[in-house]
Amino acid sequence: MHISDGVLPLAVTIGGYAASAGLATWSARRIHSRDLPKVAVVTSAFFVASLVHIPFGPTSTHLLLPGLAGALLGPAAFVAIGLGLLLQSVLFQFGGITALGANAVMMGVPAVVCGWFFQQFKGRTQARQAIAGGLAGALGTALAAVFLAALLVAGGEDFFGVAKLALAAHVPVIVIEGVISGFTIGFLARVKPVLLQSSFQDAAGPMHD
Amino acid sequence: MTEVHHIQVPLGYLPLLVLIPAAVAAVAVPWLRSRFRKQVVPGSVPDWSIPPLDDGRGGLGTSLIHRWDVRCKIMTMLAYSFAVASLRHLSAAAAAVLISLAVLLAAKVSFHKVVLRVLALAGFLGMLLIVMPLTVPANPGDTLLVFGSLDWLTVNVRGIVLAATIGAKAMAVALLMEPLLATAPLPVTLHGLSRLGIPEMAGQMVLLSYRYLHVFSHEARRMTVGMKARGFEKKTSLDTLRALGNFLGMIFVRSFERTERVFDAMQARGYKGRFPEPGQLQIRMPDILLTGVWIAVGTALVWFDWMKG
Repeated sequence: MHISDGVLPLAVTIGGYAASAGLATWSARRIHSRDLPKVAVVTSAFFVASLVHIPFGPTSTHLLLPGLAGALLGPAAFVAIGLGLLLQSVLFQFGGITALGANAVMMGVPAVVCGWFFQQFKGRTQARQAIAGGLAGALGTALAAVFLAALLVAGGEDFFGVAKLALAAHVPVIVIEGVISGFTIGFLARVKPVLLQSSFQDAAGPMHD
Repeated sequence: MTEVHHIQVPLGYLPLLVLIPAAVAAVAVPWLRSRFRKQVVPGSVPDWSIPPLDDGRGGLGTSLIHRWDVRCKIMTMLAYSFAVASLRHLSAAAAAVLISLAVLLAAKVSFHKVVLRVLALAGFLGMLLIVMPLTVPANPGDTLLVFGSLDWLTVNVRGIVLAATIGAKAMAVALLMEPLLATAPLPVTLHGLSRLGIPEMAGQMVLLSYRYLHVFSHEARRMTVGMKARGFEKKTSLDTLRALGNFLGMIFVRSFERTERVFDAMQARGYKGRFPEPGQLQIRMPDILLTGVWIAVGTALVWFDWMKG
């Protein structure tokens, strides 16, 4: 769920922009500047992936994918997610332009945390990578939900009810997201394990000197 | 006004005031959405179409907003959006919606895309409009509506006003997005942003990912058609999730392979970390005038909001 314009207090929207500008700078510094165009191209793949609707009982939900983005992109995930959210906002009006900074923090920080988590615990076997990927996927969505609730609560006591509902609504999404991420990572572990090395960071390492 | 006012409403009004509007909205929004989205692929195949950002006039539109210098336009509209988002009263927010509608008429942008943007807001705002009246705590001076003997169902009028204010603010800003983005080609808008101090690489990344969005959505559409041809049907089941997991994995494999080829092709065409500039920007007197008028309107709006306490 993306926060629209007019929900957050002015201080939170501006603080969100400041925080995400800082984090985006940090994230871009971790990538070789040569690789930034590639991150942009990968971002569009994540964007398209987030348009997939997963059936859930009588309704359907779409994927948020912070966990997967973190697992595949490492620190570059913050830039990718910020870019993806900007596109979602300007193309589809999902998430307001004034709330973009806050939305980027809400999705980007979980992604980077999940990337770290996945690299720490992925192990060597395919099964373990799939499980670590699933946990990262679930963790990413859970953290994003907590951030969302925290941002809403920043609006004051009036938003407590909305924040609670937002948390509750994320519970099924967390499960679905975890399972799908597990399958996706499992697929990649079988088909193209190179992608699970947090691509852009490693490629950039030796080129900095 | 120090205590909470209770107003008893007969139970019969419940469907009239709440259920019927909710049901109408629940039917109307999906219907309008399906009407206004150009369904490229008929049937139940997901619609991957991504709307174009600019209006296809190549920056040669003749409206006031089209001719406005892109830097002035971005700065003014963004600052104004933040001002609108900070409003606290329904009347000020409603005035902002009217101003946005006037801008919309002046900019002569596609009505179709504006409707899609407003419909995209419906989910989040509808949720607020249902949840907030029921969950906002009763402060002194609030008015609560109690429906007949249903004690647990108390509707706080302040919650309705709050949700409506948020809705109006979101609408006012969303209505400005089309005039902001569609009135100049995307490279010009991004060039304007880079002249305003946004790193040039950020603009390049937006341009590249916007371009490849369409490429990958075509690819995803082809893959979906293939899956359907093999008899895949979406259900709430583990098999569906496995198939979709593989589907996503395949999109990523292809995209990562593609990035290398894209980058090679860019280098072969002499890419050295920047794209050619899309032309000279020049600020003239009318640009400054329009910026001044707009900022005055925004200031007046904030002042009006502030005067109301």
